[in-house]
Amino acid sequence: MDVFDAVIVGGGSAGLAALMELSKLGIQAVLLESGKPVGSKNVTGGILYSKSYPDGKVYNVEDIYPDFADAPVERRITRYYLNALSGSKVYTIDLTEAHNYRTNFAYSVLMARLNRWFAERAGEEAAKVGGGIVDGVHVRDIVWMDDGARGSRSSIIVTDELEEFGARAIIAADGVNSEVALISGARSKFKPEALYQGVKCIVRLPEDVIDERFDVDGDEGVAHLFAGDISRGHNGGGFLYTNRDTLSVGLVYHLDSLLKSPIEPYQLLNEFLTIPVITNSIVDEVPVPREVDRNLPREEQLRIRFGLSRLLKQYEELRYTYYSKRARLNAIRQGLYSSEEEIKARLDDVRSRLEKEYGVQFTNDYVELEYACKLVPDGKRAMMDKPYRHNILFIGDAAGKGIFVGTRIEGINIGIDDAARAARAVARAKEMNNFSEDYMGRYYAHLVEESPYTDDIRRIDFEYMKIFVKASRNIPTEPFPLFLRLAFMLIQKTTVQELAAKIARMMDQSTLLKIIESNDAYVRIPMEVAERIGIEVKPVAAIRPLSIDERVARMRIREDEVPHIRIRDARSRFIKAMVHLCPTKCYMMEVVGEGAGRGEGVRAKEEGKEGEKGVKAVVSSVILQHEGCIECGTCSLETEWRHTRGEKGVVYEYG
Amino acid sequence: MHVIDNCKQRLKVSVPAPLIDMNGDTLNVAVMVKLEPDLSEGNVSYNPDGTLNRSQTKNILGPHSAIACRAGMYAKVCYDAWVAVCSMGPPTAEIALRDAMGICCADELHLYSDRIFAGADTLATAETIKHGIMRMGRRIDLVFSGHRAVDGETGQTGPQTAWKLGFNFIGNVVDYSVDVSRRMVRARRRVDLPGLYTVLEDVECPLPALIALDPGYRDNYRRVSERLMYARLEKEARRRVADYKNHLKVWSAKDLGVDLRYVGLAGSPTIVYKVEKIPKAKASRRARVVGSSSVEELREVGNLILNIALGEK
Repeated sequence: MDVFDAVIVGGGSAGLAALMELSKLGIQAVLLESGKPVGSKNVTGGILYSKSYPDGKVYNVEDIYPDFADAPVERRITRYYLNALSGSKVYTIDLTEAHNYRTNFAYSVLMARLNRWFAERAGEEAAKVGGGIVDGVHVRDIVWMDDGARGSRSSIIVTDELEEFGARAIIAADGVNSEVALISGARSKFKPEALYQGVKCIVRLPEDVIDERFDVDGDEGVAHLFAGDISRGHNGGGFLYTNRDTLSVGLVYHLDSLLKSPIEPYQLLNEFLTIPVITNSIVDEVPVPREVDRNLPREEQLRIRFGLSRLLKQYEELRYTYYSKRARLNAIRQGLYSSEEEIKARLDDVRSRLEKEYGVQFTNDYVELEYACKLVPDGKRAMMDKPYRHNILFIGDAAGKGIFVGTRIEGINIGIDDAARAARAVARAKEMNNFSEDYMGRYYAHLVEESPYTDDIRRIDFEYMKIFVKASRNIPTEPFPLFLRLAFMLIQKTTVQELAAKIARMMDQSTLLKIIESNDAYVRIPMEVAERIGIEVKPVAAIRPLSIDERVARMRIREDEVPHIRIRDARSRFIKAMVHLCPTKCYMMEVVGEGAGRGEGVRAKEEGKEGEKGVKAVVSSVILQHEGCIECGTCSLETEWRHTRGEKGVVYEYG
Repeated sequence: MHVIDNCKQRLKVSVPAPLIDMNGDTLNVAVMVKLEPDLSEGNVSYNPDGTLNRSQTKNILGPHSAIACRAGMYAKVCYDAWVAVCSMGPPTAEIALRDAMGICCADELHLYSDRIFAGADTLATAETIKHGIMRMGRRIDLVFSGHRAVDGETGQTGPQTAWKLGFNFIGNVVDYSVDVSRRMVRARRRVDLPGLYTVLEDVECPLPALIALDPGYRDNYRRVSERLMYARLEKEARRRVADYKNHLKVWSAKDLGVDLRYVGLAGSPTIVYKVEKIPKAKASRRARVVGSSSVEELREVGNLILNIALGEK
């Protein structure tokens, strides 16, 4: 049987960083990932931060990967805004200063792409010491054996695909829906109040159009957050980040808030896409081909179809080359075209041919490339007190890490910091040949405790809040009702700010959170602000968001005949909520009879319909079709939930 | 489990003395491949009479040969084998060898190319390959061949080469393993019994042996160390492909020292008398094309499905 010093479960950004660090420390480590290739199941919002603290060291991405400068990141985020929304009105607050707080740099990233690069680097480093990445493998079980004197317990890893093998230390980086955590009993599943559900779509837009529309240059980018009436009263908000030639547009909501009044996340996303300020950001000129005349002979129909698709492909290539400074120069350097004018002339030519020969019309719409969903652990409620168990160390999402305070949103950097610390704990354990909970686990916990991030997750950083409050100093106070005006005037006064900070420091965390994460803060105040002082934005065009069926049809999902989710109680309130909350509509209501169930009778009574003529309480139950599942884990709390087997399930191209 | 060990007596070939250790030698593996026309859409071209237009059709490593290469890679990963890929064909067949190298990370590539070899049938090809394998500079323990070629071949070259080399032959193999210390190869064969059922048969035979892979062959790396080795060799293979010419040896008939009576057209007793196309049977189902652009059309389809589901005609 193969035995390895360290086995990492999960090939996300945290797991890969752990592999890289372990390998650098000379430890033979193997990383197991169920997706193939690595990165195909990773999703982020997302921005990757690099931070520095005056009073403590954090391990940043550039510390892990020395050649990070070559990494396929998107744009460096140099401006950061919060937008209050109400209808078509928007009021924008510049939060760049808060964004820059302790930040070395921040990049917008597409996780699936970036992780492939990380995997390449980490895999190379690991191969030097006999380790590496094994993709397409799903860990099913872990068995522990007592190892003798020092209470050290080595373990045997059981997978769906491979022979069993041994591991002295395990680093669990299997994400928010960690199975290792459940197998080892280190924690129970996260409760809805400790989770956010995020949905996102990637919108394609030529590079130069992004530069112009968001007033950025080349490598720079902006981030916009949104709050207000977009949420239909739920606690959460929207985001729009600029990537190189795409935009990441999405929404994040507290899962408990969604469960309270379930609503389809894709519906909310579509409503978000159609508010004027977002529409204006994502709209693009899209060719719409005419339906082929069916009365033509079949050969002629085929000829038209093939000719059209080839020309459309040419058009797209030319357009994305012409409207991207980099691609333009590259193409000319490679000798594909002689000058920019030539590309333009070719583009115009193809365009006019499309119009004349094939009757293609150019309309305003948007180009959606990929739809994704992810659960995000809310660090302040989800972070594990003891991020270890037996010989396992938990890092990143699996350990419930993440800083989410108001507009401060960080996750990837914290997972990477965890990874570096876990690697050091394993290296020390290996030196003493003691992988026990007491020796390795507690040392890891100690290292994590030293991390400035841990403090930030636990306690609201008042320095950050001060900067945040300062950003709102320019809000005119006159148009607001007395109470709000008073509040705004107070927080704009420096002396009062100090006092408020003092008072806030005296309050305990949960009371403070109740205020910060109240429905007022998320919805009512932004709406009020936008309503009173916002600028009216007129949509430049109407777009047609994709339906969920179209989105699922475009996704790459390798179907597994064996379901990885099993419903426990098909009639529970939670499972019924999933009919709405599942981001890919995998759950469906099924009517199984009339008037039999007790709960249904009660509901009919509540609705005052009992006894009405012809109205009977209907007994419904929920069925699951796992084929469209994108493994977000929204339904995991009341189901037997596992990741798919190796090489199965969703494959994200962008992430 | 059947043990094939009587075939050697039948063929009157001396059985090599069984070796407990391999004298420090590694397992030596040869893979025989063929350059074949790419019959995928967009690459294939036909003459007006329906025969293959060979000059217009792109040539690639045959799909069955690629499977043989995968088996070669398996030997490399699991038994640290030395692997050579060989092929008989025109000089352009080095493309097939290059592609094969990318799959199995071959140590050497051997191309048997001579005008004399042209027009060879399976028997004459087997003769050439036999001489090639005997002159690889190592004692070859295991040879892999594909199931058959896609361009008019009968699946005979593999078995005939085995016969000529005096190796044991196992065909239709879907999985195999080698017991290096006992010098035995164990293989799982897929046997289709026409009209009955398909069985999987486990057989064992001593080395040297020639294995013809079934199209259903799956390389099955079940250990972490094997997966890691595979990843390493895959990378190495990419490096080697970049300068495959340095690994390539081209042999003429003279280099091989073949008896000219047994190779090429002269050594081919087969006569192709006639090639007939089998006419396609007419479809027996009735089909109607329904569009998908309007709700009415889709409703019609829905009604049809519903009728069938309800058992109505």
